[in-house]
Amino acid sequence: MTRFRHAARQALTVARRDFTATVLTPTFLLFLLSPLLMIGFGVIGSLSATTAATGGDAKRRIVVIADSREAQVVQAVDRRLRTIFSDPSVRPELRIDMPAGDRSAQARKLLASDGIDVAAVLYGPFDRPHILRAPSATVEAGYLEQLAEQVVRAERTGTAPLSRADVQVVQRGQLTTSGRSQAAYFAAFGIFFLTLMLSGQVVGAMAEERSNKVIEVLAAAVPLESVFFGKLIGAFGSALLFVCFWGTLVANVPRFLPEGMAAEVGEIGTAVGPVFALLFVAYFTMAYMLQSAVFLGMGALAGTQREIQMLSLPITVFQFGMLGLASYAAGHPDAWLATFAEMFPFSSPLAMAARAANAPEIWPHLLALAWQALWVGITVTIAARLFRRGVLKSGGPRRRKAAAAA
Amino acid sequence: MSSALAVSAANLVKRFGDRRAVDGVSIAVPQGLIYGVLGPNGAGKTTTLRMLLGIIEPDEGDRMLLGHDRPREASDRVGYLPEERGLYPNMKCREAIAFMGALRGLPWKTGRKRAGELLDAAGLGHAADDKIRKLSKGMAQLVQLLGSVVHEPELLVLDEPFSGLDPVNQERLELLIRAQQQRGATILFSTHVMAHAERLCDRLSIIAGGKVQFEGTVNDARATLPFKVYYTPHHHGEAARALLPADAERDGEGWRFTMPNDGVEALLVRLIGAGHGISGLSIERPSLHDAFVRIVGRDAIREDAA
Repeated sequence: MTRFRHAARQALTVARRDFTATVLTPTFLLFLLSPLLMIGFGVIGSLSATTAATGGDAKRRIVVIADSREAQVVQAVDRRLRTIFSDPSVRPELRIDMPAGDRSAQARKLLASDGIDVAAVLYGPFDRPHILRAPSATVEAGYLEQLAEQVVRAERTGTAPLSRADVQVVQRGQLTTSGRSQAAYFAAFGIFFLTLMLSGQVVGAMAEERSNKVIEVLAAAVPLESVFFGKLIGAFGSALLFVCFWGTLVANVPRFLPEGMAAEVGEIGTAVGPVFALLFVAYFTMAYMLQSAVFLGMGALAGTQREIQMLSLPITVFQFGMLGLASYAAGHPDAWLATFAEMFPFSSPLAMAARAANAPEIWPHLLALAWQALWVGITVTIAARLFRRGVLKSGGPRRRKAAAAA
Repeated sequence: MSSALAVSAANLVKRFGDRRAVDGVSIAVPQGLIYGVLGPNGAGKTTTLRMLLGIIEPDEGDRMLLGHDRPREASDRVGYLPEERGLYPNMKCREAIAFMGALRGLPWKTGRKRAGELLDAAGLGHAADDKIRKLSKGMAQLVQLLGSVVHEPELLVLDEPFSGLDPVNQERLELLIRAQQQRGATILFSTHVMAHAERLCDRLSIIAGGKVQFEGTVNDARATLPFKVYYTPHHHGEAARALLPADAERDGEGWRFTMPNDGVEALLVRLIGAGHGISGLSIERPSLHDAFVRIVGRDAIREDAA
């Protein structure tokens, strides 16, 4: 058996142990379903916010003071405008009040009333209307202004539509720039989000070996590089299980979206086409491996749980830094900083995933994947050497030879 | 017995900071023997074993393990029980043993089968599917030992294997070590408990202060000290003292002293002639413990005890 195959077999043995030790526990189920908690809290939060907002919106009104003849035109125009401006949070329900004496005083009284929340009141002739508004009701006042304008036009030309368009839906043959940019950002953010959630787990992986004192059994049987690779692969296995589970669910979400929203999602696309899915998985793998290798190495050198916890902040800051670089690359694919982000090993997977959305060439991705794989190897080797020197108190053969030569 | 060496090392040196933990250790372990590395705590035994196995690299010196100057290349043919026992507490015994075999190249399926057989043979068959955390310390230690032999290694390295075991498990371990030797394995183990070394070792090294102070058989070690004589006169007073050698010391009703160079006969004739008689007489062979104490030095023993 070649040395490489031997090391690979040993790494897979370690990976298998770690994978089963992680996955075959009740804790993993909790981990797997933890996004449900996140979604659950999100839903509860947004429901509460929506309920509060809806309650407020239900009481909010804009008022037009107009006689009965004008009222009919106002209502007709309002109906037509609302087919365009349909958001009730900025266009509250319209109420039409009959004039009662001094219209200015009536309008001021309406704004000050306790029973309803009047955002703005329009009174006076529609070609020179007066609008009183609450300080926050800029949009509502604007709507009333437009309403008055349309009422005047309707009075001159009638309320029947003057133009009837024939609208057809046509599928576009090529992707939009904004769609690509959105896909680029989603790709970078998706990989960042997944690695942020999943790669931090390996920080404490070597601590388990040290606390159980298994490290010497492993170190005697397996090169430390294989132990580190095995730990990375084992952790990646459980991360992949997580991603596959949630990926399958998320992939089916568009089926349940409203038609309009599904069409908007359909506008988002990537320059490389269907290969993008493969590249996304490959770059997620590399991002995970690279960042986890750093965290594994740092965690392995930490002496206590407290030190491991202290490492969390710099790790997260580092990850956000990589996202910042990749996001810039997604929005400015031709900038020098984008090239830097694509080449810097730890931001490269994110930035290259963004590039896959923006540019159709495949060969840079093959080069980038090889470059990133090389850095996974370099990082693991450095981490293993630091662990050997720092924890096992062992110098390398080079040092021995140098000492012997001296 | 083959004369080939399972393990050899020449002038191994390991420094931790300014301290030379191992200072020029040379060792040669013939195949098929049980070889002991003896020494007080902190003598450098564990560091030496770690260097021999390639867990840590020596700063100076050369070593060969089963014919390889890179010990890692022979790792699948070696079993190792470290001084600090370590197992994954949530693993089942059978799985833990199979895992340790798998690390050394044994297929999982074979490992599980052999694990069951080894556990049965060690009287732990009932615990095969128990998790390690449920076992007593002694049982867990035995499981780890079984894990180090499950792949039937040519060389078994045991670092302080008897520490923490009760007498029954110590006896089990001795039997297991002998069984491994009968299978053809070479056993290299470290200890500071002389009784085990005396019963088990074919050859041994005594290390102190990072250096090898003695290398040879148990008998060679004993031969570094003269025989002792324990003599009991008829009358228990101090009267016989004048005729005894200068190093004679009172011990109970008799006297213990070093065997004179010309033997004990002439002395006995003088004692009988002087009317002291012989109520009891025994010639005592020095124990390995005595030899160890002399070789290592009483100062080192006192430091060890402290």
